[in-house]
Amino acid sequence: MRAAPGFALPAVRGGPVALDDLRAAGPVVLVFVAEECPTCTLALRRLAPLVAPVRAAGVTLVAVFEDPPEVAARVARTTGFAATALAEPAPYDVSRAYELHALPTTVLVDRDGVELDRRVGWDAAGLEELLARACGSAVEVTREPPAVKPGCAAKSMYDAATLALLDGGDDEHEVMFARGWSDGLPVVPPTPERVAAMLGGRDPTFVLGEVPPALGEATLERVGACAVLAGCRPSYFPVVEAAVRAALDPAFNLNGQAVTTQPSGQLVVVNGPIRHALGLNTGMGALGPGARANLTIGRALRLVVTLTGGALPGRLDRATLGQPGKLGFCVAEDEEGSPWEPLHVERGFAAERSVVTLIASDAPQSISDHRSTDPEELASILGWAAAATWSPNWWPLGATSLYVICPEHRALFAAAGWSKQQVREAMFAAVAKPARLLRRGETTPFVLAADPDALINKWTNADEIVLLAAGGEAGRYSALLGPCLGMDAAIVSREVVESA
Amino acid sequence: MEYVSPFDERRRAIQPLAPRGVALDGATVVLLDITKRRGDEFLDRIEARLRGRGARTLREAKEIFSKPAEPELIRRIANRGDLTVEGLAD
Repeated sequence: MRAAPGFALPAVRGGPVALDDLRAAGPVVLVFVAEECPTCTLALRRLAPLVAPVRAAGVTLVAVFEDPPEVAARVARTTGFAATALAEPAPYDVSRAYELHALPTTVLVDRDGVELDRRVGWDAAGLEELLARACGSAVEVTREPPAVKPGCAAKSMYDAATLALLDGGDDEHEVMFARGWSDGLPVVPPTPERVAAMLGGRDPTFVLGEVPPALGEATLERVGACAVLAGCRPSYFPVVEAAVRAALDPAFNLNGQAVTTQPSGQLVVVNGPIRHALGLNTGMGALGPGARANLTIGRALRLVVTLTGGALPGRLDRATLGQPGKLGFCVAEDEEGSPWEPLHVERGFAAERSVVTLIASDAPQSISDHRSTDPEELASILGWAAAATWSPNWWPLGATSLYVICPEHRALFAAAGWSKQQVREAMFAAVAKPARLLRRGETTPFVLAADPDALINKWTNADEIVLLAAGGEAGRYSALLGPCLGMDAAIVSREVVESA
Repeated sequence: MEYVSPFDERRRAIQPLAPRGVALDGATVVLLDITKRRGDEFLDRIEARLRGRGARTLREAKEIFSKPAEPELIRRIANRGDLTVEGLAD
């Protein structure tokens, strides 16, 4: 018997988990595993049905993966292993402390922190003994062949050169993937020097708040690390910081957006002079690729949500399909080319202020109209594009629809002297249907309660329509970003503070 | 190479589970509707079965399913019930 080495390792569900805390609740059974070991997969599959009975006996079963968190999460999911899963980073100090030679290795630790038993490989009879000792009662482990199977060498046993190869070798970009510090695309490694440059003298320990869903503390240092990872220039940081501040406003309900099965993205809209200072694209291809500032600012916010906030896809982020905007989505308004007051002025800021506005949104949908010749006609076409958003018969939406209006469409409204409000009201009024045509599939209680011939509008009121100016001068394509429903997610703005 | 982690690696204490094994007969069970569609139907059926086993039931509801329960609601549930059943999804 010997003392089980203490540790704190990141859990697949977010936040570090310490052995001391685990054993405070009773005996702990640690199952050390790795993705590439077939015996580990077999062990996890066969232990999966025992998770509930072992838990009922007051014993905590824990898988400790010698893998990055996203790999651990995938293996735990595919094997049906529904107990706590921890991810041990290279160079596998915990495995070394436990003097592991092979995986799987199962270790029983009592509540006093003493190692009482350990079994190596898959050993049905041996594991049955270990679990019975842990639980204080008989536990049945399947004897389905093979009842005994040796495992693989623990990664902690590998020599340094082999280990370096497994974890990306000398390629620091591969190291970022191996650590799970990515959204799936390559990142810029956040060295202390790069993060310090990003913060530009700001206090790295200053806390902006806790990021849902795992409530990771957003220190400026961590936000700076995400901005570096995303590829931001240091000059972008004030916009990233303002976006994070806006996202953490409870009225934005980032918690709901981060974990929902919906394809909920957090669109970052930038207004004011900082657009030009940073080279944000407001014109041709404004919603697409090409401009570093647009792409990396949106991505930095999403990395804060995903990494600091723990909304890792397939884990706490439960999106059924997701959407490309969840990689990051930032648009800057074409204020100079717009006949209307910009979004931040509508929202009460002075025109000369730089402001970030966050809108919970679905993916963009393009609306082509090269034929309308009067404003009523165009407002109707733009409005009807929203008919099927969320779900074709879900009327009224009761949430924000964001329209990005291209220059040629704006010009038609401007020639008629229409204000933003006139456009909104015309769009609102144009999109209505009798309730009887909406009573199929996913429909609203409002439609079900209405007279069959009553006209139902797509929106509750014209204020649910938000208009933004952007896009290239040629081509009559505007865009519509549908809402995230059920989130009660307010549009939130924060002024950009440029000084450190 | 040293890097600055984007993760919050502070250690969190694990909250112990409440004691299990409360007998249903005579217990007060709070049925929490998070206001997801049809959650009330699910809880209606659970309520009938709990009452059939001698439990007293109370109904509570969150204002909106996508936001955390208000602290006051959590306090009310903790003060009034021995057990809570929550209807989670639609």
